[in-house]
Amino acid sequence: MTEVRIQGPGVLDRDSGKALLENVVECRMDGVDALIIDLSETQSMTSPGGAWLIKIADHLREREKELRFEGQEGPVAEFMELIGPSFAAAPRVDRRHEGVLERIGGAAWKSTVEFRDFYRLVVDAIYWSFIAPFDGRGLRWGLLVDELHEMGVRAVRINFLMNFLLGLIIAMLSAAQLETFGATILVADLMVIAFFRELAAIMTAVVVSARTGAAIAAELATMQVQEEIDALRGMGLNVSQFLVAPKLLALLIVMPCLVAQGIVAGLIGGSVWGIGVMGIDWEPWLRESLNAAQLDDFVQGMLKSVIFAFVIVLIGCHNGLRVSGGSRGVGLMTTRAVVMDIFALITIDMIFALMVYYVL
Amino acid sequence: MPNPLIDVQNLVTHYGDRLILDDISFGVGEREIFVVIGGSGCGKSTLFKHMAGLLRPTSGRVLYSGVDITGMDEDELAAMQRNIGIAFQSSGLFNSMSVGENVALPLREYGGVDEELIGPLVRLKLSLVGLDGAENLMPGELSGGMRKRAGLARAIALDPPVVYFDEPSAGLDPIMASGLDQLILDLKQLLGITVIIVTHELESIKTVADRILMLDRGKLIFLGTRAEALSCDVERVRQFFDRRPDASMIQRSA
Repeated sequence: MTEVRIQGPGVLDRDSGKALLENVVECRMDGVDALIIDLSETQSMTSPGGAWLIKIADHLREREKELRFEGQEGPVAEFMELIGPSFAAAPRVDRRHEGVLERIGGAAWKSTVEFRDFYRLVVDAIYWSFIAPFDGRGLRWGLLVDELHEMGVRAVRINFLMNFLLGLIIAMLSAAQLETFGATILVADLMVIAFFRELAAIMTAVVVSARTGAAIAAELATMQVQEEIDALRGMGLNVSQFLVAPKLLALLIVMPCLVAQGIVAGLIGGSVWGIGVMGIDWEPWLRESLNAAQLDDFVQGMLKSVIFAFVIVLIGCHNGLRVSGGSRGVGLMTTRAVVMDIFALITIDMIFALMVYYVL
Repeated sequence: MPNPLIDVQNLVTHYGDRLILDDISFGVGEREIFVVIGGSGCGKSTLFKHMAGLLRPTSGRVLYSGVDITGMDEDELAAMQRNIGIAFQSSGLFNSMSVGENVALPLREYGGVDEELIGPLVRLKLSLVGLDGAENLMPGELSGGMRKRAGLARAIALDPPVVYFDEPSAGLDPIMASGLDQLILDLKQLLGITVIIVTHELESIKTVADRILMLDRGKLIFLGTRAEALSCDVERVRQFFDRRPDASMIQRSA
């Protein structure tokens, strides 16, 4: 067994360590089995110096040569002993390749589990919101009032503004088209029908999912991360009763109110354009608006608002409770909740449109 | 103390109107393990944050080798803080990064290290704290003691001359806690660093402390060596080391 011996520097630091590595790289290793670094003259070493030794160990391992240190004493010996384990090979990142079937199966299993969790949450939420209170099992009234204030009262201004602006936009857009037919008065009809059926409900739902949906997901996710959810469970309390039911009931009450407010705001926006800018008299505008107002359309908007409320709360809670892995998980799940909200809202709206125009 | 490395002079701080630290002065020498003790809510952590430049005091100065950090602007302070490593009570590891990336972060950000050396340096720092092979794990996969040690590895990544350690052994089992104490002693010995520890773990204090400072309701009530602390006859200090409860918990918190 042939060996090569290299003398270590007096002070093993960043620069002398680098020089030592270069020395080792240049060293002719043909037919040599082992390299010995003699540290008997090394008085002190720094961590970058130690890191260069690790580089040397990596270099020799690639070439299947043995590396030994000899002669170290005192603090250098202690340091070498402490960092000894890092001379072993760096752990490989274990990225096992998954086949197509494995991936499809994994995805299917994950969705099944998630669907099952969501289903349980829905059943629990319905029980604790609508059945348990009448069964004499408490609802937390104080929290419900807090949530009504937070979700409803505090959303009034932003919701009014968004619907008002949307009303303005739709009025401008439709006026430009209808002008070519000289039928600008029909803008009033269009505004009423559009906001009753679609726009107020959708716009309000978007505002609410961005405000409330995200807040619910972030709140529950943080509670999950900080073991507050476990604390609740540990006290034998039900998460759905304590956290989900008050939010669900609150949004079910608040959402139709906000949508009604959205209708008013949107129609005000339209009128500002129609009466204020296009110069249509307010009397025919009002007459047309009232003519166009149908109870059916209003009910359709309200019905949607209730379903949207349901969806926003449950998706928020579901994603919040699924969180894992600390602060990063909270961010991911909040994003996921809002994205799922918007997707669900549009899908539900489309199903409604299909039913109303083509099925019923 | 002549020429202390860290010199705290007449430090006074408030949270709002509430006085937290009341005229605290002391020095910390080079290569010393300096332990700050006291009951919960006595201002330990606040003092620690002031010394590390994370908070600014109402009045008073904190000097590092004669340079006052309380008057520094953001850039000067950031440059100074490269000489300080902080291991936080709840480890402060970034959840979105692996343990190795956490340790590599200060090395990358502050530069001065060859890119090819970062990998080996991370491995070296992790094996210094006994976490060799853990670089690809995520913080969420570590136990409490491992998280503390990973936090310590990140704190010493830049070989700072001063390392702060907030509650090193809180929440750890006795084996892990004494292991960590030994680790602190080893690191002080090997790297020649000054360590400032905030704790209220008696065993840990008796093992590692060179000198001890005790706070009680914002006031400095004891400053001296470990032997002096153990034989000190100040009532509050005795009570702390003898683990005796207050006559009435309610009375004190009122």
